Amino acid sequence: MFTIEVKVGLKKGVVDPEGSNTLKSLNLLGFEEVGSVKTLKVFRIEMEAPSKEDALKRADEMCQRLLMNPVIHTYLIDVI
Amino acid sequence: MKVSDIRVAVLRMEGINCEQETYDAFERLGARPEFVHIKQLEKRWPDSGGYRDLEEYDILMLPGGFSAGDYIRAGAIFASRIKSSVGKDLVRFIEEGKPVGGFCNGFQIMVELGVLPGYSSTMSDRPEAVLHANDSGNFECRPALLKMVNRGSCVWTSRIEKDEVRLIPVAHAEGNLILDDPDRAYARLFDSDMVVFRYCDTEGDFEAPYPYNPNGSRFNIAGICNDTGNVFGMMPHPERVFDRIAHPDWYRKRISRDEGDGRAVFESVLDHVVKRF
Amino acid sequence: MVIADLTSDIGLDVPVRRIMLSRCTDEELERMSRQMGIGLSLDEMKRVRDHFSSEGRDPMDVELEALGQAWSEHCCYKSSKYYMRKHFFGMGAPYVISSNEDAGVVEFDDEHAYVVGLESHNHPSAIGPYGGAATGVGGIIRDIFCMGAQPVATVDPLFFGPLDLPQDSVPEGVRHPRSIFHGVVAGIRDYGNRIGIPTVAGMIQFHEGYTGNPLVNVGAIGIARKEHIIHSRVGGPGEIYILAGGRTGRDGIHGVTFASADLSSSSEDKDRGSVQLGDPITKEPLIHACLEANEKGLLRGMKDLGGGGLSCVSGEMALAGGCGAVIDMDRIPIKEDGMAPWEIWVSESQERMMVSVLPEKVQDVLGIFEKWDVLARVVGRIEEGRRIKALWKGVPVLDLDLDFFTAGPEYCRIVEARVVSREMKEASFPDPDRPSLEKALLSLMSDPNICSREAVFRTYDHEVRARTVIKPAVGRPFSPGPSDASVIKPLSGSNKGLALASDVDPFFCEIDPYNGTMASLEESFRNLVCVGARPHSITDCLNFGNPERPDRMGDFARSCEAIGEMVRYFKVPVVSGNVSLYNETETGNVPPTPTFFTVGIVPDVNLCMTSDLKEESNLLYLIGMTKKEMGGSAYFRQLKEECSCVPSVDLEMSKGAMEAMLELIGSHLVVSAHDLSEGGMAAAIAEMCIGGGLGAEVSISRIGRFAGLEEMRRDTILFSESCSRYMVEVRLPNAGKVEDCLSRHHVPYVKMGTVGGRRLRILDEDEILIDVGIDILDEKWRNGLRYVLEGSQ
Repeated sequence: MFTIEVKVGLKKGVVDPEGSNTLKSLNLLGFEEVGSVKTLKVFRIEMEAPSKEDALKRADEMCQRLLMNPVIHTYLIDVI
Repeated sequence: MKVSDIRVAVLRMEGINCEQETYDAFERLGARPEFVHIKQLEKRWPDSGGYRDLEEYDILMLPGGFSAGDYIRAGAIFASRIKSSVGKDLVRFIEEGKPVGGFCNGFQIMVELGVLPGYSSTMSDRPEAVLHANDSGNFECRPALLKMVNRGSCVWTSRIEKDEVRLIPVAHAEGNLILDDPDRAYARLFDSDMVVFRYCDTEGDFEAPYPYNPNGSRFNIAGICNDTGNVFGMMPHPERVFDRIAHPDWYRKRISRDEGDGRAVFESVLDHVVKRF
Repeated sequence: MVIADLTSDIGLDVPVRRIMLSRCTDEELERMSRQMGIGLSLDEMKRVRDHFSSEGRDPMDVELEALGQAWSEHCCYKSSKYYMRKHFFGMGAPYVISSNEDAGVVEFDDEHAYVVGLESHNHPSAIGPYGGAATGVGGIIRDIFCMGAQPVATVDPLFFGPLDLPQDSVPEGVRHPRSIFHGVVAGIRDYGNRIGIPTVAGMIQFHEGYTGNPLVNVGAIGIARKEHIIHSRVGGPGEIYILAGGRTGRDGIHGVTFASADLSSSSEDKDRGSVQLGDPITKEPLIHACLEANEKGLLRGMKDLGGGGLSCVSGEMALAGGCGAVIDMDRIPIKEDGMAPWEIWVSESQERMMVSVLPEKVQDVLGIFEKWDVLARVVGRIEEGRRIKALWKGVPVLDLDLDFFTAGPEYCRIVEARVVSREMKEASFPDPDRPSLEKALLSLMSDPNICSREAVFRTYDHEVRARTVIKPAVGRPFSPGPSDASVIKPLSGSNKGLALASDVDPFFCEIDPYNGTMASLEESFRNLVCVGARPHSITDCLNFGNPERPDRMGDFARSCEAIGEMVRYFKVPVVSGNVSLYNETETGNVPPTPTFFTVGIVPDVNLCMTSDLKEESNLLYLIGMTKKEMGGSAYFRQLKEECSCVPSVDLEMSKGAMEAMLELIGSHLVVSAHDLSEGGMAAAIAEMCIGGGLGAEVSISRIGRFAGLEEMRRDTILFSESCSRYMVEVRLPNAGKVEDCLSRHHVPYVKMGTVGGRRLRILDEDEILIDVGIDILDEKWRNGLRYVLEGSQ
């Protein structure tokens, strides 16, 4: 059993309204030291696989087929 | 083909929630809509009498809503289910020239499926565009003015004059259309007559900021079609303004025509099927 | 030992204990109630003990938990029932089909009924604003479709502390009102939008009394063919219980007992487990499946699992059908392993429905749920006899007499009614001149309690289903003004409409619960009338403080009395309702908040009226009597002036004005109409100007200056919030007919001026009191919430 973490984030230059709204709210709440907020989506996936490499490969396919949209997203896969 | 013979598949899965008004629009124009659950196409329906095939239909409609909760990304889960179960049937359907339409979530699903913009193939392997979060960061339920800019390729708007402005509401949180390879993609979209509706202001101007452009979409694009004009998606909801009385200001001009601004979209596509098939 | 662990004795794989109440001292009984978190008083614990003694045994933990839940204030209305019965229960109308179930059922036309309900989700929303509000919406929608109706709209009255409250004024352990506000609105948005039922109306009020204890009231309405109305009762012995929808988890344990106690500062951490999570994407197909099974005639009874869970539902449905029931608890689908039977029994997990089905229909019903991918399982059967039993793998863990179980205690609490002076006071400073009046108007327009709610309702899908004929905003599509009520056209084949309004003025009720309640209910009638609807039914949600305190209970009793007065006079019935008590924190109680969700019938939606001004040179009329009733008014609040004389309802005048308005609208004699409420006449005209993008020039010189009456101050005329008043716009040729109609109904009126230009000008004889561009009014009003959220002007 492997536990995989897929982190999906926005590519550079893609607007991140949730991030910028959160930044604004934090500043308004008095956290003036906050200069930037970016949102990431994390999927924690538990899966069976013969090896770590296979697990990574399958997770990559998951990203390609569902978890991210290559037009705006970048992603990172970790085995934890 | 007669209008009364036109079979429209109104596709649904959990979270789709504009199917009734979409169905009603076709029914009221005399066509034969039918609710089809994705499980019926997947042949996972509890009784086999409910199995359906795409080829039985003349038009495929993807209604609005929050398919599968819009979790992961708006429309992504529904798109992956369609692609893995009936992807090939859908490609055949499109290549036969049959119309496929999607409003709001339906448009998001079509973009995730890769059937829009679809310039490299009928259905691309990977999405070539995305409907990203609105610039405001909010869900936006509001009226929008749309100028019809298609020069004639789109079979869903033949009843609307070019440059005519219509009021059709939006209700979405992710409607900002972003194309892959923007430097070439937008030019290609305009050159190939794939842009159908653009947001404008009360003067008809495209320089219109929020809230006229409710999501920040570049070039104010609200709806596009593929290069053959039969596959069409738009963020606004024409099915919500089928009747005049659904307009936000119908009571201010009590004598105007009885039909709502969205009705022509349904009439156009039925016209097309009547003539073509 | 007062607790005996039976787990190994009876060979179970789950923990079950017997609670030896018979051996408990009074002190131990109280401690037991506290430790188990069941919230029963000593007297109630004794009653339970004596009941079990008469059966010759002690209760199991499952049984005691079930009683704690069933006898909570939330489930059995033990403090409130007496006063509601005394004042307004049972005052029906011939068109009421049912008013004693989860939601009221009322005739809409010959073939259809509408189903309406309103509930509070206050305590959960204080602790977990997002989840609390979301599940509130989910709960009320279940109440509607469990009667066999298709939900068509939701309505959300919300009450928060001031958004700009300084952080150091927020009590320890309490979330800032701003954070609660954002969470609640997002919860309603994410749940309501996903489920595809438009959120079409509601209200938002800010008052310091809600800081520690926000109120989240959620209402919904649905439509059904009369023959599809299904009741919350089984048909008879031999039927099968099927539980459908979400799994049962530990979320929402002790939800109702928690809703029936004061919030303490530690609640936020301690009680987090009792806030439930919502899952709209399970709910949406659950609605389809339940309605489909019902329409095919496969169901005998249906009820949703709300506050009270499996325990209350399986018992109440059986008893309502004159039967008993047995539940196989080990067949309940659960979210996590290791849940004890008592936890399963009282869990308030969301998205669950119980249906009662004849044995031969079970497979058909399960088939429908399977089609929609909704989990459904046979969990029990209906029996003769009035007992509810639960088995765990065949071993009994609960066996309760249903009459005892459901007959919760009822109290006639001590009340102490407050004495309120009706002395009419005007402001203490000299009658202001133009600069001060203009400043006062602008600051009222941006007052958080008056300004536009667009920042909120645009995030709610208020148009899905394409039947929202009058939306929350009216007038120019891109710069609309406020709508008095929303109108839904629920059927495709009929032009008949349902108008929906919700109202309560907590500032009035705080000063004078009796007059404040009447004024609030009358305002919601006025709102309906302004869109052209005749008030048809009332649903209430009575939010008050701790009923064990005589002053709070006194407020409650006076408020009930006021509702009774209105109901009797107008013959508009209360068809459903909810009571939420214990809305208190260590820093005080909420102002008495009797929220009303009223429904009106529009004969033809094509005749609906709106508040936006329509065209230049039309006349403006003020209808009704302006009085020196400044108590609780927004004007006095802003200037910190004191007065206890809140607006009162003159029943005869109110009815006359209402009938006259309905006649005027029904015969096209007015082209816009708006009720006068917060901010008074000046704010009402300003709002009409904003919606229409047109100015107006009006004079107040003929208002409140009748012979024999003491002269009224100008600021009183402009900003008084007296009841039963409307502003209407009339085309010149119709002026005579309008005046005739008003005279015929004995309603006072004043022709105030004309529509035109781009400024609002208010004069007194030749003196200009107010002269402001509508763009400035628009900007102040439209951005009021933003100013306070972003701390800028």
